[in-house]
Amino acid sequence: MLFTCPLPTLRRTILSGLMLFVGVGLFVPSAQATDKLTIYSGRGERLIKPVLDAFTASTGIQIELLSSGTTELVNRLKAEGDRTSADLLITNDAGSLELARTAGLLRPLNMREVERAIPAQFRAPDNAWVGLSGRFWIVVYNTTLVKPDQVKSLLDLADPKWKDKIAIPNSGSEYLQAGVSVIRATHGDEKTRQFLQGLKTNADGQVYQKSSQIVDAVAKGQVALGIVNHYYIYRHLATQPNAPIAALMPDQQEGGMGAIMNVAGVGIIKSTKHLDSAKLLVEFLVAQAGQKLFADLDKEYPLHPDVKADPALVERKSFRAALVPLTKLAELREPTLTLIEQVGLR
Amino acid sequence: MSTIRQQLASPLQLLALATAGLILLPLGYVTAQALSADPAVWSRLWSTRIPELLFNTISLAASVAVITLFLGVSTAWLVTRTEFPGRRLWEGALVLPLAMPTYVLAYVYSYLLGFGGPVEHLWQLMAGPQARIFSPHSYWGATLVMALDTFPFVYLLSRSALLSMNVSFEEVARASGASRLSTLWRVTLPLMRPSIAAGLALVILYVVSDFGAVSLLRYQTLTYAVFQQMTGRSDNTAASILSLLLVALALIFLITERWFRQRSRFYQTTGRYRAPQRHQYGWLGTVAITSYLGLIVGAAFALPASLLIQWSLSPEAQATLDSRFFGFVWNSGILAASAATGGVLIGLPLAYLASRRPTLLNVGCLQAAYAGYVLPGPVAALAVLVLFTKLAPVFYGSVLILIVAYVIHFLPAGLQSLEPALQQITPNLEEVSRTLGFGMRATWRRVTLPLVRNGFIVAWVLMFLQTMKELPATLLLRPVGFDTLAIRVWMEASEEYFQLAAPAALLIVLLSLPALALLVSKDWRAA
Repeated sequence: MLFTCPLPTLRRTILSGLMLFVGVGLFVPSAQATDKLTIYSGRGERLIKPVLDAFTASTGIQIELLSSGTTELVNRLKAEGDRTSADLLITNDAGSLELARTAGLLRPLNMREVERAIPAQFRAPDNAWVGLSGRFWIVVYNTTLVKPDQVKSLLDLADPKWKDKIAIPNSGSEYLQAGVSVIRATHGDEKTRQFLQGLKTNADGQVYQKSSQIVDAVAKGQVALGIVNHYYIYRHLATQPNAPIAALMPDQQEGGMGAIMNVAGVGIIKSTKHLDSAKLLVEFLVAQAGQKLFADLDKEYPLHPDVKADPALVERKSFRAALVPLTKLAELREPTLTLIEQVGLR
Repeated sequence: MSTIRQQLASPLQLLALATAGLILLPLGYVTAQALSADPAVWSRLWSTRIPELLFNTISLAASVAVITLFLGVSTAWLVTRTEFPGRRLWEGALVLPLAMPTYVLAYVYSYLLGFGGPVEHLWQLMAGPQARIFSPHSYWGATLVMALDTFPFVYLLSRSALLSMNVSFEEVARASGASRLSTLWRVTLPLMRPSIAAGLALVILYVVSDFGAVSLLRYQTLTYAVFQQMTGRSDNTAASILSLLLVALALIFLITERWFRQRSRFYQTTGRYRAPQRHQYGWLGTVAITSYLGLIVGAAFALPASLLIQWSLSPEAQATLDSRFFGFVWNSGILAASAATGGVLIGLPLAYLASRRPTLLNVGCLQAAYAGYVLPGPVAALAVLVLFTKLAPVFYGSVLILIVAYVIHFLPAGLQSLEPALQQITPNLEEVSRTLGFGMRATWRRVTLPLVRNGFIVAWVLMFLQTMKELPATLLLRPVGFDTLAIRVWMEASEEYFQLAAPAALLIVLLSLPALALLVSKDWRAA
């Protein structure tokens, strides 16, 4: 009977699938097979999963991934408290990591590998979070509509001549909040308010949920300029090499603020029951190979001093970053939000 | 005093009270949060965001209501009162848009009508390279998408009213010399009013609580703003304040609707049912009717569905079809089925008590159940999360928490058809059954249940469909590793990966179709 099955190929497929299943179960050491990490990630699934898959491949540690908005995940962690199933938090914003740290959600780390790999300005004082890659909030412009010398500083974008020609992210995005915080710290509240008011007028109907949409609008010529994180430009160019867009590093003039920098980073959740595996993952991410993988996937700048960025990017040494410490982003955030709300940015 | 005790004694009553209480908890949480907020936050929101958000929300709801009223009633009239080739086909096709989530329609239209999109290209070929069409990311874009997607609510309920209406009322009017038009205006439409009001209620509550479409179309409504406040800030006060406004808005509207329905209650007094006479049209009429219906169904379903199919066949989309993907399918189906079943079971005692024993308490419980619908998905989600972690931490991180949020959120959709189903059968039938010696339970099983069965099916299907499509609560509450199809669509579509979002979107549509078939199956007309 067994061999008169009407669908021999199907049967064979099922059988071989079962054998494979059993086989894998036999060959992976059981201690590791039961080890599983749960990661809350504010970084998009597509931009983190390959790195985590590489980690799983080399250690056998399985990973459950929950991708969502960064602030949303920090809120969720707060609500869940000790009952959370999360072992690690990965975000795209140092301010959110610092907020999670001050809320007591993260566990201080004493790891020499981390201290050796990542410079101190990209880590929390107690290593409760560790930066993994650098990202810059810059201007993307349509090369057929704008000349690069027309914009020197982010603040220029508030100029009435850009009315209806700018696309910006909505006020809920962490990098907008971080960026405005840096501008406030550099230029003070009044100047920042004027900047935001100008931006609001100029970007009236062009407030987007996602930066990829902003780059898309600029590439299509719907708007002339946009403010985005730098890698969105390269991601767009990777799929559409002929798109008329380019990156513009703002505020590089003499005495200027410098480009606004933020980091993506990771922290270990205080209540984790898988500390050793979690540490293993952090170690993996700060090591040279992990750094390269993590940064390249999203066209970001590695933080490990010995790891080179993707050659498509603007050479890191060729521009300056703003001098506001990342740990300050958290304490600046609340008053920044108030200011954003007072101006009425969406 | 004794009456109160009597009322409380019934287990059904206790169940209804408990349900109402549970559903009111999130509302209570939000209210408490909003009212304890710093007055400075209130005044800041009043001076910056609130006027715009209120205006946007109300005007969107109003324009969608007007358009769906017209589309829904006119199509229902055509398929029930006229005869033309293909009528039965259209009768079913008109509910298809219910299978298309609003955000899917929104993303298809933002591709079609968007800057540099195919429609604009066509238009530029005719009107010159600088010509622009209206942007889908606007008030009119949101109106178009919402109206196309929600008119079947009005259509379905109008159609069932037209089918189950006692034709003799109309015949009497005609026999007394009233013209066809005046009969429609003075007899038929007033008789349909409760159903139309119920349909519009579904539409408006849907529009007001929608999150996915307005955010893809970047049209700022209260719900969208609430989600933004919740996910963009570490403090939920502002979100709670906006939610409270939303609830107040919806309450005002619900009270109006109830008043409308209370003023007109009709019972089917005889068991006799006769199909109404259908008006026959010639070929010209047929062409006109067919193109009208074709335009509507085409824009709301056929065109977007064929685009989804085309996208799903692209190699990029094919690459996403792995074993994980089938996990998402399973998750979506199981969640929607559990939530719908739970909703019917929970809604039943509420609807039954309110229509059979409309005491203040019973009607109050029913009204309380409507709270979940007006509470925007994200806030209901957060409240459910907080309550669970405080009251029943054991279930935390399970899908139960998600199902509870769905039931709270979508119960009103079910009640909207459970309630009329129970109202339409005259209490006399049950009373007769009781006098003939049947007990409560036997009466319920042998008289009430068969009569309301179709109302139940509709309630179940409506809740199933809506859960399948639900987005914000799922985004906020899903257990780790438990993504649904809706989440997948959202993740890809919000990054403008139209092709990658297509297979999941298409599957939501396909999985919804059998449920829809139930809705329009033959049994339904006996309701």
